[in-house]
Amino acid sequence: MPVTDTALRDVYAAAVERMAGRALDALTGAGGAVAPAAPASTPELAALRVLGPDLFAAQLLSGAPLETATTTALGAALRAFPPETPTPDGTDQDALAVAWLDHVSGFLAGVAVHQPEHVPDSSHWQRWSVRMARLAPLALPGLDGPVHRAARREPLALARGTVRAMLRRDHRTALRLTRWLAWLGTPTPLELPPLLDRLHLVGDGSNRTALDLAITQALLTEHQR
Amino acid sequence: MTTDPRLLGIAQRLSSQALHWLHRAHRNGHGTLPPDATVDLSDPDTAYKPLGEAALAASLILRDGVAGAHDLAAAGELIEFCWHQLQSGNLLYERQLRHPNLTDPLEMYAHFARAGYRHRPLDELLDSLTRLRATHAAEMVPNRRLAVANARRVVGLDHRPDWAALTAGTWLGAAPEPWSIDWSTGYALTHTVFHLTDWGARPEGLPGPLRTYLTDWLPVWADIWLEIGQWDLVGELLIVDSCTGAPVCGLDPWERLAAAQHPDGLTPRDAEPVDPDPAQAFRDHEHTAVVAVIAGTVTLARALGAEPALA
Repeated sequence: MPVTDTALRDVYAAAVERMAGRALDALTGAGGAVAPAAPASTPELAALRVLGPDLFAAQLLSGAPLETATTTALGAALRAFPPETPTPDGTDQDALAVAWLDHVSGFLAGVAVHQPEHVPDSSHWQRWSVRMARLAPLALPGLDGPVHRAARREPLALARGTVRAMLRRDHRTALRLTRWLAWLGTPTPLELPPLLDRLHLVGDGSNRTALDLAITQALLTEHQR
Repeated sequence: MTTDPRLLGIAQRLSSQALHWLHRAHRNGHGTLPPDATVDLSDPDTAYKPLGEAALAASLILRDGVAGAHDLAAAGELIEFCWHQLQSGNLLYERQLRHPNLTDPLEMYAHFARAGYRHRPLDELLDSLTRLRATHAAEMVPNRRLAVANARRVVGLDHRPDWAALTAGTWLGAAPEPWSIDWSTGYALTHTVFHLTDWGARPEGLPGPLRTYLTDWLPVWADIWLEIGQWDLVGELLIVDSCTGAPVCGLDPWERLAAAQHPDGLTPRDAEPVDPDPAQAFRDHEHTAVVAVIAGTVTLARALGAEPALA
């Protein structure tokens, strides 16, 4: 779903930011339902589709039931912007990452979306870690599957990818990989609190980044209990 | 240790070509001290320091003994040239005598001592200085302390430094957050490893936790500086990789460094254009040639299990 029109792209990006802000409010207890009350606009449907599992961060982190209004809205989004078919066979690794996000979004929304047969290829830690950063919305409690098992098998590759992203000043990728490391809940080759401190300081100030920071912090806190 | 024949082949060619580039450059008159050089070198970095670096590279080829006959001969001629430039050690002796607080005469001398060159008055002078409290109280950054300690070890001076304490004072000794590294810190860490292991001859000189730390993060740092073509630092990181005794960086950085090397053996320090003036090109890139020579010879020596030859 590439958007080439600049103005339209801005509209969609703004919708994602607003939706991320609602998910963040739900997580911090400052807001109500993540999904809009009224029937969602097309940009809002796109935003729901982009955020996917992150829409339910508040419930998945607290163990509460998923919000019905949001599962319904996400289902509508998946129908408005249907996942690519057939499922990628693994040759297009970027499409494969999107297919996994769609599959898990479908699972949460109660919409059948085919499960990819492959996980991203982990033989090249640089490329794999970038794809895992894209799959960071899957790093939430209660979600588990082949992608998560791959993350458990490769903590050093996740950590190396994080350090690489930090040194390239790609802080968004670094944060998303830190989120995976926090999700692992086991000792990792990287100390996460000082890293998260640094990511707080250099963040881009967007709601999307704030949401990733809050989720990562919550995962760390949960595992420190 | 790596036994990948492709990697070892690349390491051997990279090192040999860089060595012969250095050898030719010196034969062509580059890298010589001015005829009026005295113990008070006005700019030690201009020719004096590069002479020491060339001597270091040659001494390691001679020490490790894994190069072919042609390379061994070139290394022998190169170090002989450097020793001659230093007036067969007299310049080092006079400089150390005049400036007892300087450490560069000792450090330079260590490269020659490694290859069997000795200067008896300098030996006597260094022995005397080693007994002074002032010598050990000199203020310097932590990885430089290791450089001096290793030079004393190579020269054979009677001194027993607290290696653990010296190591703990360095950036690497703190095993810092690996994302906090920068270019100059990268050089500090490489030199810490060079001196602790005496340029790969003593992998056991690297404490286990630091070896694990380096094994975890060297591939990332190599990747970062490869991406921006910082060939000199990449080469130093590859030396470190071999000095650990269990290299992890693999074939890719070697292939990319070798691809950056010019057909005549010039190994560029970075991705900037090479100055067409041979004198300037020598000044700009002699250090990277030294790095390439050492990277190749240390990697081959460790892979082939060479026992360092005692001078």
